Amino acid sequence: MELFPTEHIKLSELLEQIEDTIKNRFDSEFYWVSARTVNVKKYESNRRCYLSLEEVNNGTKTAEIRAVFWANYYHEIEQFENLTKQAFKDGTEIICKVKVRYHKVYGLNLDIIQLDVAHTLGLFELERQKTLDRLLKENPNTIQLYDGVYKTFNNRLPIPRIITKIALITAPNSDGQRDFQQELKQNKHGYTFSVSEYLTTIQGDTASTLIIEQLEHIEKNKDHFDVVAIVRGGGSLTDFKPFDDYELAKYVAGFPVPIFTGIGHDRNQSIVDLMAREQKTPTKVASTFVEQNFTFENNLIELKRNLFELVQEQLVNAKENLDHAKRIVRLSSPQTILNRGFAIITCGNKIIVDPGTINEKDELKTLLRDETIHSIVTKKTKNEKGFDI
Amino acid sequence: MKKDLTYNEAFDKLQEILEQLEQGDIPLDKLSTKVKQANEFIAICENKLRNIQAEIKESINTAVTRQTKKK
Repeated sequence: MELFPTEHIKLSELLEQIEDTIKNRFDSEFYWVSARTVNVKKYESNRRCYLSLEEVNNGTKTAEIRAVFWANYYHEIEQFENLTKQAFKDGTEIICKVKVRYHKVYGLNLDIIQLDVAHTLGLFELERQKTLDRLLKENPNTIQLYDGVYKTFNNRLPIPRIITKIALITAPNSDGQRDFQQELKQNKHGYTFSVSEYLTTIQGDTASTLIIEQLEHIEKNKDHFDVVAIVRGGGSLTDFKPFDDYELAKYVAGFPVPIFTGIGHDRNQSIVDLMAREQKTPTKVASTFVEQNFTFENNLIELKRNLFELVQEQLVNAKENLDHAKRIVRLSSPQTILNRGFAIITCGNKIIVDPGTINEKDELKTLLRDETIHSIVTKKTKNEKGFDI
Repeated sequence: MKKDLTYNEAFDKLQEILEQLEQGDIPLDKLSTKVKQANEFIAICENKLRNIQAEIKESINTAVTRQTKKK
């Protein structure tokens, strides 16, 4: 048995052999592998991303290897984030195209040269659908689905006719905060709003919990608010996941004050959007509030106009009725009768209506328009049938 | 004649006389009195109508003023 080596080689020589072996075996090969990301470290300035890929079965790690996106493949991460609206971070299930590389100093690595975004999108969609199904199943009183539209307790709450008191959930010093406030302050109708800000992080793993905490604060003072706005600045930020969180979505769906979301996302709707009233951007949320007040004012002006018209109509009718009455009364007055050439006959200062009361030799007065004729009755005869004035 | 009639009360009474006049129900010796009464009811109605019109105009103007001040 050989106790000590008679010959040795340098470490580098050994590693060269390993390198050669690996190179010979893998140099022209590419593999699509499925794995989960861990220890993701992105260096945007020099466009590199170092990470590990791992596989876990039933809670036990069964494989792990270091991996890297070099600068010429860094765009894969950007594309992934743009399309999925999720940050490329730890715990993301991916399928990626890799090349095996061994380096004597840096060891074994996988160079990632492509990401299967469709796969990840599919997983997200699956997860999203699971969350939606769970929301429907576990909250039948506050969340229902009609013709593909989610009707929740919250998004069915009536919107106040006038909105003045707003609770705003947003990130401090964010574009969303600025855009929202600016749109309200510069509204062309000059309406004033009272906005109470509930500032918090709205991105990252803890965001959904933090937003719930702010909603809890608002709920304690719910009578002080007409509406709640949850806004986030649009732009490059990609982490959309907090708004697909089950607990946050559930809380929003049952929230007692109407919630409007403007979380800066044109393509997809988050689950929270579906549970509330979605307006896409902070500016649009603010302009919706302005419009609501403008609509109310317009309705009021219209009502006033209608009231005025109805009242005018009634007054005109009343005046016409009176004019009609005046005409009839004027036509019926004794003076009008005399003016037309008729006469009034009196006997002993009483108007004669029934000629049966007149006898021969009675003294009569015949009143005409300008004169009175005094006469004595000498004879009375009945009018013949068919007598016509 | 009662002066504190409402517009509707005065108009109803006027209407009653008008119907009698139109149907020729009023004896000639009462015609003069009825016409006088009708004219008084007309005067009451016209007076009330003018007041109502003025009140409505006033209230609309007040509402407009309030709204303007609010702005």
